[in-house]
Amino acid sequence: MKKTLTLLLSAGLVATATQAFSSPKEDLEKFRTYFEQRFPGVQLNDFGNGPYALDASKRLQWESMEEFPPYEEYVDKGREIWETPFKNGKSFASCFGKDPSKVRVKYPHWDSKTQQVVTLEGDINKCLKENGEKPFGWKKGKIAHLGAYLGYEARGQKTNVVIPNDPKALEAYEEGKHFFYAKRGQLNMACADCHVYYSGQRIRGNTLSAALGHTTHFPVFRAKWAKKGKGDGLGTLHRRYGGCNKQVRARPFKAQGKEYRNLEFFHTYMSNGLEINAPGYRE
Amino acid sequence: MTKLTQRLGGTTTVLALCAGLVFSAQVSADNIAEGKKIAFDRKKGNCLACHHIEGGTLAGTIAPPLVAMKQRFPDKAKLRAQIWDATVANPNTIMPPMGRHKILTEKEIDLVTDFIYSL
Amino acid sequence: MKKLITALGLALLIAGCNATTPEKPASMKAQYEAALAETQAAVDKAASVGGEWRDIRWKKSKKKYLPSAIKAAEAGDYAKALKLLEIAKFQAEAGYKQAMAQKNAGPRF
Ligand code: HEC
Ligand code: HEC
Repeated sequence: MKKTLTLLLSAGLVATATQAFSSPKEDLEKFRTYFEQRFPGVQLNDFGNGPYALDASKRLQWESMEEFPPYEEYVDKGREIWETPFKNGKSFASCFGKDPSKVRVKYPHWDSKTQQVVTLEGDINKCLKENGEKPFGWKKGKIAHLGAYLGYEARGQKTNVVIPNDPKALEAYEEGKHFFYAKRGQLNMACADCHVYYSGQRIRGNTLSAALGHTTHFPVFRAKWAKKGKGDGLGTLHRRYGGCNKQVRARPFKAQGKEYRNLEFFHTYMSNGLEINAPGYRE
Repeated sequence: MTKLTQRLGGTTTVLALCAGLVFSAQVSADNIAEGKKIAFDRKKGNCLACHHIEGGTLAGTIAPPLVAMKQRFPDKAKLRAQIWDATVANPNTIMPPMGRHKILTEKEIDLVTDFIYSL
Repeated sequence: MKKLITALGLALLIAGCNATTPEKPASMKAQYEAALAETQAAVDKAASVGGEWRDIRWKKSKKKYLPSAIKAAEAGDYAKALKLLEIAKFQAEAGYKQAMAQKNAGPRF
């Protein structure tokens, strides 16, 4: 009797343990397999094209847009920002290294010193402050122009987020993962509801993109963001997070706050191995 | 004689039934129209985001089309309950709990139920 | 006599006034203040678990139930303020409950 009990108990423990402690690597394998099985015809890198990888009718329209991409001028603006010296004579290269094509793939990453997830945008503003310059806004404008340039220079390189075996880093990863799967807002929906379980389906007129490949093309140019009062069209990943939170009637979190940085850590890790194709064009 | 009363009785019942039908149809015609408006309104029910419903445009493909609802839900109360809180039947559902989260008022849910039940 | 009548009239008037000007403003205000404190506590609790909904107080929300309630009260419309607080409190409590219910959310594949 006692034996059966202990057996049962330990079986239960093992079951819960494997659920709670599935490693990032296992998560990634299951995540990718899920989408590969759901969309057998789609090549891995094509997931980086969001809804256009899943919806043939929208793809044509998008391909014609990509022939004269509206984001090109912002890539040029970003290059200018990268090359223009600060008032102290230094430039972004003093923070990021001379080669602009080697920057994007380093982000996001875990910083063991500050014990937090560091993003490209975070380091851009850190660099500005350290050099006595005014930091950029977090969601659009110059920060997105520079991001577009650095992304463009990194095109073709593979996403490669490293989750170090450090309990704090794993905790940040788990927090980001939980954020992604938890329902929130008055409409009670999780990121995963739309971008995993119903990816490829249409919600009203929008084809829901797969979360696999979600991060590769940011910052993104969105026609919707190029309207009066919204900016020049370009926006960062955290801007998009805010938009997707508020459409389920949840209060968006602060761009570059801990919640979204941890989400970015998990979310980008899930696209490891996919090529960077930033900046992207979307409706 | 008995036959006559029987016949008369029969006719009155039929008449009464007809009157009743016409009456209830009239009452709910307004309700149905109002319910439809709420169901289609993006800021209210927004059912079309996920469900195909006859008469609606740009419907989503997430959820089963809402047709033949009287067959699916012979009990209207069950239909209302599904709309009020879809997580009871399926805790993981993507369908918003219209009543439990007060996305719609009780009155609005009644009207939407009238409309969906008519499909 | 005349005086008496005026006095009586006055007394009646005062009594009447007292009856029709209920302590309404004072008690509505107290009711509002209590509701405000409760709502604020509920909102803080929801926020502490990341469960705050969009329309409670976020600056870009078109509804902003909590700040709108405070504004209504400042304008003396306590009835409206109480109605808005009721919504804000409901949403805060529901958001907290939701976050608790989602504590173990994870992939289902
Ligand atoms: C109600 C459904 C819904 C929910 C829930 C939702 N999104 Fe979205 N999301 C959309 C729609 C619609 C779009 C635009 C079409 C597309 O790309 O999928 C979008 C776009 C995106 C994009 C841009 C994709 C691209 O290719 O440019 C990202 C990234 C994203 N969502 C992330 C998230 C995250 C993270 C969450 C959770 C915080 C979330 N979404 C929750 C509906 C949703
Ligand atoms: C975000 C998507 C979404 C929205 C919005 C939505 N539903 Fe649903 N609904 C679903 C899904 C998905 C199902 C399938 C069952 C499930 O997964 O819970 C469903 C199931 C149902 C069912 C049961 C159908 C059956 O045949 O069993 C009814 C009835 C229903 N919905 C009515 C409505 C009404 C009325 C509205 C608008 C007030 C609405 N739904 C809004 C997603 C949605």
